[in-house]
Amino acid sequence: MTSAVLEQFQRVGRDLFVAGLISSHGGNMSVRQGDRILITRRGSMLAHLEERDVVDIGLEENDANVALASTEIVVHRAIYAATSALAVVHTHPPYAIAQSLVKDEIVPMDSEGSYLLHKVPVVAAQLTAGSSEVAELLPQWLKEYDLVMLRGHGPFAIGHLLEEAYQLTSVLEMTCRILTISEAMGGEVKEYRKGSERYGSW
Amino acid sequence: MSHAISTLAPLHGLRVDLSRGIATAEESSADVARAYLGGRGLGACIALRERLYEVEPLAPENLLIFAPGPLTGTDAPASGRHSVTARSPLTGTLFDGNSGGSFGVALRGLGIDYLVVAGACETPSCLVIGGDAGGEGAAGGARGTAAGARGAAVGEVLAAPDGVQVALLPAGELWGMEVPTALARLRDAHPGAEASVIGPAGERGVLFASIVNNRGRSIGRGGLGAVMGAKRLKAVVVADHGRHRPVVADPDRLSFVAYEAEKLLKANPITSQALPEFGTAVLVNVLNQAGVLPTRNFRASQFEHAAAISGESLRRDFLQRRAACRGCGIGCARRTSTGDASGEGPEYESIWALGAACGVGDLKAIVEANYACNRAGLDTITMGSTIACAMEMTEEGVLPDGPRFGDAAAVIALCAATARREGLGDELAEGSARFAARLGRPELSMSVKSLELPAYDPRGMTGQGLGFATSNRGGCHLRANMLNPEILGVPKMIDRFATLGKAGLLINLQNLNAALDSLSLCKFTGFALKEDYYARLLSAVWGETVEPQELLRVGERIWNAERLFNLAAGFTRAADTLPRRLLEEPVPAGPAAGRVVDLEPMLAEYYLARGWDTDGRPRAGKLDRLSLSSAAVTAGLTAGEAGPTRSSSAPVPSAAAHGPGAAA
Repeated sequence: MTSAVLEQFQRVGRDLFVAGLISSHGGNMSVRQGDRILITRRGSMLAHLEERDVVDIGLEENDANVALASTEIVVHRAIYAATSALAVVHTHPPYAIAQSLVKDEIVPMDSEGSYLLHKVPVVAAQLTAGSSEVAELLPQWLKEYDLVMLRGHGPFAIGHLLEEAYQLTSVLEMTCRILTISEAMGGEVKEYRKGSERYGSW
Repeated sequence: MSHAISTLAPLHGLRVDLSRGIATAEESSADVARAYLGGRGLGACIALRERLYEVEPLAPENLLIFAPGPLTGTDAPASGRHSVTARSPLTGTLFDGNSGGSFGVALRGLGIDYLVVAGACETPSCLVIGGDAGGEGAAGGARGTAAGARGAAVGEVLAAPDGVQVALLPAGELWGMEVPTALARLRDAHPGAEASVIGPAGERGVLFASIVNNRGRSIGRGGLGAVMGAKRLKAVVVADHGRHRPVVADPDRLSFVAYEAEKLLKANPITSQALPEFGTAVLVNVLNQAGVLPTRNFRASQFEHAAAISGESLRRDFLQRRAACRGCGIGCARRTSTGDASGEGPEYESIWALGAACGVGDLKAIVEANYACNRAGLDTITMGSTIACAMEMTEEGVLPDGPRFGDAAAVIALCAATARREGLGDELAEGSARFAARLGRPELSMSVKSLELPAYDPRGMTGQGLGFATSNRGGCHLRANMLNPEILGVPKMIDRFATLGKAGLLINLQNLNAALDSLSLCKFTGFALKEDYYARLLSAVWGETVEPQELLRVGERIWNAERLFNLAAGFTRAADTLPRRLLEEPVPAGPAAGRVVDLEPMLAEYYLARGWDTDGRPRAGKLDRLSLSSAAVTAGLTAGEAGPTRSSSAPVPSAAAHGPGAAA
């Protein structure tokens, strides 16, 4: 792993924690490099990543490093197998998780969320951490959406770079905060966008 | 996805054999359409299937394949494009050019998804498709003395496949005409027609001659104009726009996705402000500040006169008005004027090649040199870079009395002389690689696979260097422009000096651009859009779900098909390299000072990520997954576990044998 790649992990990991998108030891992220994956170590603190916290492991085949890799390695692998992603970020943002508990899809009302997300599908699984059920379910949605919400657990976001997936995650949480606040205020939501009724089928 | 009826169907082709005077309708299956889309992909598919790697580029057996894509002529943004594919006389590789304009739209209007031009005429001719093709004056008033194509009477309608008339007409009066004059004559003869023409450079077999349509949109690189000239084909005219509109399965969905796409294009400052306001020349100052504007044949990477030749200066002193290709809301094209002359451009690459590369800081002279290239039908990048090579030869004492860096008048004069193949121009007409090799200094050609590099110094953007080295058509930024992530921060800024970790991003861009060239959409939309938008646009047109991943897989298939072609043509790992200067000579000053490109580790990472062996040959499993195994076998490449190995000796391209005067 080059210092430039480690630096990306460190920068994004620190921001995820500072932004309140993960708890002290929560979340995970990875990048794909050809037939290899660099993924955060199981139990690592994303805000304090060191070189030993980023594990190099095969894209398809296991090796001894699987003992160190994030619990979600099976999901990350499935995502890379099914999509064009070169980076995956998984977090536990509170407002997004709260929204996912009461909705089957999250449709942003704010401008930034509308432009970048249009709609976020919410998918449900009984076993939400590192499960083959999630590994089968999520990639099918990530073929069409760059970010998908796992109910009660958190979003998986993809991109060509870690920073892209991080951005989508950050935008989702901001969107969900705005939704939560505006819904709590009650009253009529005044639509300002043309064609937004179609975002649900985006 | 709504319940639209699928429009994915076999592609309607028209094949014209100039030697035999025959036009026939043909078809490519819906499976081919799904696997290769159209445009560049379809061209690669046909070229590989018909073994163009075995033909001399300027021989009649080479094909010219004109192909729009499934989005051409629809309401998708910036979709008025088409590709032309052939084996290149400059590089010997498979080569496609992609152009805006309305030529591809007109072809589709006649219900033609692709046009294959084979053989060669005995005398200068003009191919007219549609309308009253064989009617009086159909070749622009050029009826008369010249004999027609062998096997076809003068002005005879060759055939009327699918009700479309096709005629091969004498073009003796058009032969020798400069591009704007020929286009104007053809427009007069066929009001509303769209034509693709060559200029004097293509007629004389200049190895980097272009094909021009509309009022100046070019298939610029790789010398496809010379292929057309060798066929003695002055023009292909689509005489009317026909009655066909591209069939869209779900127009409502297309309209919605196009609207959302336009929103992003309008919100992005590159596509909504920088390109419309300054054109592509906006990059002059940006790249100079970053220390990656190659100067004086890549001796340096900052130019002291950059401001004088910038997009800002162009707008202030020469701009008449903005222009746009059909269906494009960006509008990066420029109409400019100087004195009594006016014309298209210059684009960023042209300003660089005819300016900074040659040490010329006189924008008026650059504009005039650009006009000279446009009139003659010359690729400005190769022209300027080849002159820059000659200038360095002069400074090195290799070329007595040659042009010197900074000599603006010499640049203008050499453009004209090259088009006429006069004096030193006759040698420059072969491109810098052959020119430099002949003078014993091959390292002074700033080219990859004999295609001159564009306006980015990879010593200050290493991913771009890897892109140049691995490009299937040679030194080119349009296969995958790492300018976006390395300088412009699209999609995000990455460390431009870092060596490793970029292969995946580059491959993704290469695959995506192959798909875009096949759809056919302008790559500039990529400043604001990603593959999910392109997949939604195609899904709406076809009425079938196309996932972003499928588009990228199509792009990967095309990339590997092109690679197979080049392997069959005799190219090896050794061709995936950069000029020695970029590997060994550090940048002398500026933000990239002291840098070179450390290519070997990047190349190893790239091959691994591509699923190729260490010699850059696709592994059997990769070919299998891309449904290319049989193509590899046909190409004489036995796909073993270690990848395909050529089973017979490869023909070496020898364009020069057909070069000077071949088409005169």
